[in-house]
Amino acid sequence: MRCLVAEDEPHIRADLEVALQAAGFLVDQVGDGEAAWYQGDVEDYDAVVLDLGLPRLDGLSVLRRWRKAGRAFPVLIVSARGDWTEKVEGIEAGADDYLAKPFQMGELVARVRALVRRGAGKLSPVVEAGALRLDTLRMTATFEGAPARVSPLEFRLLDYLAHQSGRAVPAGELADHLYGASDSADANAIEAIVARLRRKFGSDLIRTRRGFGYVLETE
Amino acid sequence: MTRHSLRWRLLLAAAAGILLALALAWLFMTLLFERHLERRLEAEMTRDALGLVSALVFDARGQPRLQAEPGDPRLDKPAGGYYWQVSTASGVLRSRSLWDSALPVPVAAPADDWRLRDATGPFGRDLAVLEREVVVDADHPAVVVQFAQDRAPLADARSEFGRELALFLAALWAVLLAAAWLQVRVGLRPLARVRGDLELLEQSPDARLPPARLREVQPLVDSINALADARQKDLAQARRRAADLAHGLKTPLAALAAQSRRAREAGAAEAADGMDRALAAVNLVVEGELARARLSRLAQAGRASAEAQPVVERVANVLEHTERGEALVFASEVPAGLRLPLGEEHLAELFGALMENAARHARRQVRVTATAGAGWTRVQVEDDGEGMDAARMAAWQADGERFDQVSATGGGLGLPIARDLVQASGGTLQLGRSPLGGLQVSLEWVAAGTPPNTQG
Repeated sequence: MRCLVAEDEPHIRADLEVALQAAGFLVDQVGDGEAAWYQGDVEDYDAVVLDLGLPRLDGLSVLRRWRKAGRAFPVLIVSARGDWTEKVEGIEAGADDYLAKPFQMGELVARVRALVRRGAGKLSPVVEAGALRLDTLRMTATFEGAPARVSPLEFRLLDYLAHQSGRAVPAGELADHLYGASDSADANAIEAIVARLRRKFGSDLIRTRRGFGYVLETE
Repeated sequence: MTRHSLRWRLLLAAAAGILLALALAWLFMTLLFERHLERRLEAEMTRDALGLVSALVFDARGQPRLQAEPGDPRLDKPAGGYYWQVSTASGVLRSRSLWDSALPVPVAAPADDWRLRDATGPFGRDLAVLEREVVVDADHPAVVVQFAQDRAPLADARSEFGRELALFLAALWAVLLAAAWLQVRVGLRPLARVRGDLELLEQSPDARLPPARLREVQPLVDSINALADARQKDLAQARRRAADLAHGLKTPLAALAAQSRRAREAGAAEAADGMDRALAAVNLVVEGELARARLSRLAQAGRASAEAQPVVERVANVLEHTERGEALVFASEVPAGLRLPLGEEHLAELFGALMENAARHARRQVRVTATAGAGWTRVQVEDDGEGMDAARMAAWQADGERFDQVSATGGGLGLPIARDLVQASGGTLQLGRSPLGGLQVSLEWVAAGTPPNTQG
């Protein structure tokens, strides 16, 4: 597995390299934004650790350029500022996770591993259900051709329903799938997720069959 | 109190000044009154004396005789207080009121005009004596005509006048004093206004005194505002430095964390643990300082407002990307168009802090609801976790944890940051138990600057 580390502070960069190598990654490291952008543009990585405060070209711009060019590798952004506007901007620019400095190296490695795990192991990369299109590799969705924002939980619920070919799925079963074991309180959470999805994609996307469960509309 | 009060000083000075002026007025007026009495007395006696002279004749033996007596009844009563006397070389004529006494005859009375002088007369009284040497006809020697009046009634009138004038002036003093008090009060009112405005200044470093209505007060207002500007500048500089310091510490802290990890790998686990604990404590302080810096930017931003729903959605989107948030549903029941009295950046901090805190404790879901009515807006952030125990909630509610206390109690920074943000924008933050089971954080703004628009 290849990982790119873009960080301008040499000590942290060296440390990240050591830690990620120990976790089994093949690590490339760069110290400024221009180099990071170039490296990400020409090489295929399984994960990228990107500092937002890079010299020459800031991390957010690097990320936007990658995403615009269709580079889909998972990106973990690291920032010293750590305010919410920056986090929101980072995620909206296409980051997959964020971590505020100073961080525990163990936590960073765990996050990078989780990102890689999310992106891997998808057998059928795209699932289509009516106007909804789910990219299981990037865990992104498009609705009526336009990119739609779905959370991982929402994605997993849609993904599960899409694989049931019109069968009504009871809330308990969905909770089992999403949370492992379930209890009565989880039905409430499922209801909340469905309500959120209906607000995003219209009330017709997921229908409730009274006494049976939820059905994803595929027509 | 008296010595240090401008009002009392002004009042005392006014009281003393007015008292002095009135005392002088009393003196001057009694003097005028006395002179007036004297002149009237002289005029009265001159008139009577002229009447007496015109009635004065000499009989065949050369003795003076009156053809008609003066009519004043006091002249007929012994020791009546009014006397006349005509003295010649050959004999003396005198009023009945003199009885067996006589007026002292001067050695040389003026012959050209009447003269008024004081004398001690009969019956031991102080008298005003009017006298003149008169030649009645060429055949007889000159006679000395004297009229005298007791001074006691004059003195009585004078002291009575003085007393009544003093009473009147005392009353006038009281009225003038009341006027002075009113003047001082009205005069000092602009200062009281400035003091009231200064209290605002104390509460918020951004507040400035409004322009004074009076030209004389404006320089004071200008000076105070200049002072406030300087203070705010210093404050901003100090905050910036603190923020820069906190910011600058972050990267070295990350490097230190790396050192700690190396130490752990080299087998010094105990040393690494200690280092990690210290780092965590420093990190909390740094985060607190940065949060404070963000708050101060809020204060500088003034009255802003932003729509809540998109901010909640964006923060949820960020949290859904985190390991914890990934497994949670962020239910948002925020009406489109509802605005909160905070700028977008600060609203992101507020919801970020609260929703991240809720996500840390939630089991399955985090719910954000917002409602608004006429002049109020309420936002609730709740989770379905364990919730906060009642004792800690009560303690938090009572005095609240500060950024610098959270490390001691092990809480997160989320709630203190959120509370400071809400309070800085004029709202309140309350903790409670959510129907979902966990903590419910209620934010409320009453009569917010922007009327909430609940139409979606």
